[in-house]
Amino acid sequence: MVIRFTCNGRAVQVEAEPEARVIDVLRDGLRLTGTKEGCGRGECGACTVLLDGKPVNACLLLAGKIVDRDVVTIEGIAGEDGSLHPIQEAFLDTGAVQCGFCTPGMILSAKALLDEIDTPGVAEVEEALAGNLCRCTGYGKVVDAVLAASRRMAPGADRGGE
Amino acid sequence: MVSSVSVIGKRIRKVDGREMVTGEAKFSGDYIFPGMVYGTVKRAGVPAGRIKSIDVTPANAVPGVVDVLVAADIPGPNLIGILPPLDQPVLASDEIRYAGESVALVVAESAEAARRGAQAVAVEIEAYEPILTVDAALAPDARKIHETGNVTFSKKLRKGEVESAFERADILVEGDYETSFQEHAYLEPETVCAVPGRRFTLYASCQSPFHIRGHVAANLGVPASSVKVIQANTGGSFGGKDDVATEIGALACIAAQRLNRPVMIAHERKESIVGSNLRHAARIHIKTGALKDGRIIAREVRVLLDGGAYASESPFVTMKTLIHAAGPYNIENVSVESTSIYTNKTYCGAFRGFGVPQVTFASESQIDELAEKLGLDPLEIRRINGLRAGDPNATGQIYEQSVGLLETIEEIAKRPEPAGRKDDDRHVHGTGYAAVAQGISNGAEGIDVTGASVQMSQDGSVLVGIGLTELGQGSRTVYALIAAEVLGVDVDSVSVRSVDTDAVHDSGPTVASRSTTVGGMAVHKAASEVKKSLVSMAALMMKTEGENIELRDGFAVLRTDESARIPIASVATAAYWTGFPLMNLAFSKAPEANFDDETHQGDVYIAYNYGTHRMDVRVDTLTGEVTVLNHLAAHDVGRVINPLGLEGQVEGASLMGFGLAHMERIQYVDGIIQNANFADYAVPSIKDRLPTATITVEDPNPTGPFGAKGAGEPPVAATAAVFANAVADAVGVRFTRLPITREDILDALKRGNHD
Amino acid sequence: MRYLKPTSIHEAADALESSRGTILAGGTDLCVYMAEGVCQPETLIDISGIDSMRGIETIQSGREEATVRIGAGTTVAEVAASEALPDCLRQGAQAVGSPQIRNLGTIGGNVCNASPCGDTLTPLLALDARFVLRSTAGTRTVESEEFFTGPKQTVLDPHEILEFIELPSASCARASAFRMIGNRKGQAISQVNAAVSVAIVDGVMSDVRVAVGSVAPVPLRLAGLEELLSGKTVEDLHPANLRDAVLEGVRPIDDVRSTATYRQEVTVALVFDALAACGGQRSGQDEGAGAW
Repeated sequence: MVIRFTCNGRAVQVEAEPEARVIDVLRDGLRLTGTKEGCGRGECGACTVLLDGKPVNACLLLAGKIVDRDVVTIEGIAGEDGSLHPIQEAFLDTGAVQCGFCTPGMILSAKALLDEIDTPGVAEVEEALAGNLCRCTGYGKVVDAVLAASRRMAPGADRGGE
Repeated sequence: MVSSVSVIGKRIRKVDGREMVTGEAKFSGDYIFPGMVYGTVKRAGVPAGRIKSIDVTPANAVPGVVDVLVAADIPGPNLIGILPPLDQPVLASDEIRYAGESVALVVAESAEAARRGAQAVAVEIEAYEPILTVDAALAPDARKIHETGNVTFSKKLRKGEVESAFERADILVEGDYETSFQEHAYLEPETVCAVPGRRFTLYASCQSPFHIRGHVAANLGVPASSVKVIQANTGGSFGGKDDVATEIGALACIAAQRLNRPVMIAHERKESIVGSNLRHAARIHIKTGALKDGRIIAREVRVLLDGGAYASESPFVTMKTLIHAAGPYNIENVSVESTSIYTNKTYCGAFRGFGVPQVTFASESQIDELAEKLGLDPLEIRRINGLRAGDPNATGQIYEQSVGLLETIEEIAKRPEPAGRKDDDRHVHGTGYAAVAQGISNGAEGIDVTGASVQMSQDGSVLVGIGLTELGQGSRTVYALIAAEVLGVDVDSVSVRSVDTDAVHDSGPTVASRSTTVGGMAVHKAASEVKKSLVSMAALMMKTEGENIELRDGFAVLRTDESARIPIASVATAAYWTGFPLMNLAFSKAPEANFDDETHQGDVYIAYNYGTHRMDVRVDTLTGEVTVLNHLAAHDVGRVINPLGLEGQVEGASLMGFGLAHMERIQYVDGIIQNANFADYAVPSIKDRLPTATITVEDPNPTGPFGAKGAGEPPVAATAAVFANAVADAVGVRFTRLPITREDILDALKRGNHD
Repeated sequence: MRYLKPTSIHEAADALESSRGTILAGGTDLCVYMAEGVCQPETLIDISGIDSMRGIETIQSGREEATVRIGAGTTVAEVAASEALPDCLRQGAQAVGSPQIRNLGTIGGNVCNASPCGDTLTPLLALDARFVLRSTAGTRTVESEEFFTGPKQTVLDPHEILEFIELPSASCARASAFRMIGNRKGQAISQVNAAVSVAIVDGVMSDVRVAVGSVAPVPLRLAGLEELLSGKTVEDLHPANLRDAVLEGVRPIDDVRSTATYRQEVTVALVFDALAACGGQRSGQDEGAGAW
């Protein structure tokens, strides 16, 4: 069947079975390969996408469930002009990226958090990112990145960098 | 050493980071080629036995299946491995040596169909009683897992006379220690994609592309130059993507050749755990003798490594344990015997730290036991015995420089105890210390040559090429920084090639903390040659001598009159038209190891990284839960190239060591791994992170660029050891086995209370 | 595979009756089973389009006591965030998987999957929850304590759908708390979990409910302990006093996630912590772990 949904702000339609996994719809159908498969069982968070603004595992999400809904992938968060989102900038500035495989999922989980809470505390950051495993960084710089991004995104903050 | 630098030591963003935060970075699984098909391996499922028959008919009947390969379909010798004689088949043809062993490859139009096809392959195996422990493997009448027997590799180190020294010792401590198998658990499972053609192109998630090229070509039965390996972005490796990438790389290429279609093989997480190498489990016996004043005079160590079904890196891991078992101490009499053993379990090989975490845990535990017996402070005993410049280490090697252990001890000693550690009726607190030394680069494990190219374009931008791979550790950024520093240009104007075996020089494997040290030297050398051209050209243009020219901030500057400056781009353009070479391919060859094979006395490594850690913990005596309140990680890194990258290495390696020490354990029942997923194999989550504070000591290393030496591995060992010592201090009971789980802690508390 | 997406519970019940299909709620468990080939349904009945099965409301019908009714399709994240629900259930929901899992997974799915370690199960037992099961024949209501019959097994008939979960208002009025321990601190599966619901008047406990998970084939109420605690004061609680009654009730096993011995020991600690948190609730303390 044709699956119609909104992806990164655009209406899209993809030919897929309703029981197909959304991760496959995105990667194979739309060639949005920024969404990564690390475990296929919802245990690592590398495939995190935002569904109606909330982080979910695209490996556990079936295509039939996203009809008429809003999906955001890592490809959808930078500006139209190619300018990076403050969270993306912060991940680079603080050294929160090593191999980069968990990074898209991390950034989307962070975005969902910061869209909801302007200035989260460390515990809130940890809770929000608890479903995203990373084997490279030890996570300290990931927490730093999300906190730095929240300061940049705060109303009136200088977005030029810190 | 260079007196003033402009970019070395600055906090620099990862040069290849942008594509990773946008999702544009292409990993192996992100390539899509027209007509591509997918391969899935059929695994033995039993740990030991002999294949009686393989029936591929049911697999061929599965809709979508296009081909099934068995061992007989491999054109080459059907062998992979690290050190000759190679002992591991790509596909098993006869003997089954571990449950994850590959017996067939099913190729289909979709990954799903390939999986169904693999399930359908009917393999009849005459099962043997599996050999699952080193004791069983070493039993006199044990079945031989390989024709050569069950001992993979065994070596001895002899320094002085331990027996007589033990007699002179005032105090002896002796104990047995164990560590468990650990899984690399990189987030990206192993993936390759082979594209057929006049030559083969293999996109691979891998660590050492030239190593893979060699094995793929051999098993295809073609010359190495017929295969082009392109390292795709690699989602972590930590030592784990060498052997397995040769296996699935060869399979993908052979299938691509048969079908004349691109073939992708992407492991599922479970396969990544059961079908690729693990960290060796170890059993270590140590006896240490000391004088009353705290001086250690003798140490005897026996290491037994469970290496699983195939040799892989076992010989080199064995060597590394041999050389590191004495710890970072000046001990006159040392005797070590290290042996790796074959068992019917997943093969073990390279894993960040490479044997050093296992022996460091054992060694540092015993150092604490000794300190307690001597009534010495844990830092004091390490101070007394710690290696200083000019001291002979366990192999008798003496370094006159860059032995910063004592400085790391003092850095730890001067940090105050954290506030608020008051025991209550439920919680106890403890503090642990551990010291570590880890040899840098291949050393005893092989020739150490790296080739790097540096070329400058007429616009002054720079392209660096090297055969060592970026795996997340930030080596590309290090190379960019070094080239920028030498050539006086901005880091942003330097690009580092991705590794394509057609385009860069074989630089040996990306292992052993050698990228910055040995790779960085090659880049430095090549950049320095290009610099010579620029300086010569600028001197001509300024009508002066080369020695008066300095390259910095994007200009060739006259030292005597800084206002006299020419943009590097103009110099480069002029150099190009004048015929001065703007490209150089340089080789850096580390000083060769030179030691006696019987005693392992001699010069082994070009440098060591030294470190001291402290950890403060709180233990919940009702649940065994441990909260790490404080973790200080001080390392002598020679010279910091990029603090941001260095901290990332120390923090990441520390958490990996913490996992080894507390959370991670591959669980076997009858030779089958029970927890081959991330729900039951507990990789630390963000809530388990450590409060690691990285402290650097810079005692410049003459064999590294700008004095740098590698740092990516040593914190694994130090953290594993310091956790054990901190928890032991808290609960008052020593632990002799890693991981120390909450179950173990509760158990120890119960035993402690009954003593 | 057929994929049906009914928009009403009646349509869903009809579809289930005629197709004998598999109910798909959030899919966080089912998709794993499907990926592993453990479950290969011919028909999936996706109930996420049934609006009446989502949300939390208080029902006052006639003279009967008020009931808090949770639609089975309510996500675990929504349960965790709902101020209308007792603490133990919210905390249990918050302990499920990861944020991603909680956003997809439903409380009905957690219940029907009936894993002995399911983190909303023990809270529901401690709150005297009732499950409303729907079929083409109508509805029937089952007490939570009678719903679970074994690991991944329930009294649910193949043609029944869990439609609502009801909590008596009396149980919602009691203090409650949930505690769990897993193999890591984030995104962990419970090695043991415990939920407690108790009325505390002047420090004295009554109406005590203690439920523990992952220590038996089904989540358990600890009747002996409940009896022991009734009439005792919160201040006098001590783990040692609970120990015998806890150990008497639990029947843990060794498995890949933990050992029977550890599970026994830690059950005592978790039950104590949950009770202590209930005692401290009036002081506004949320996470009691630090204070205790």
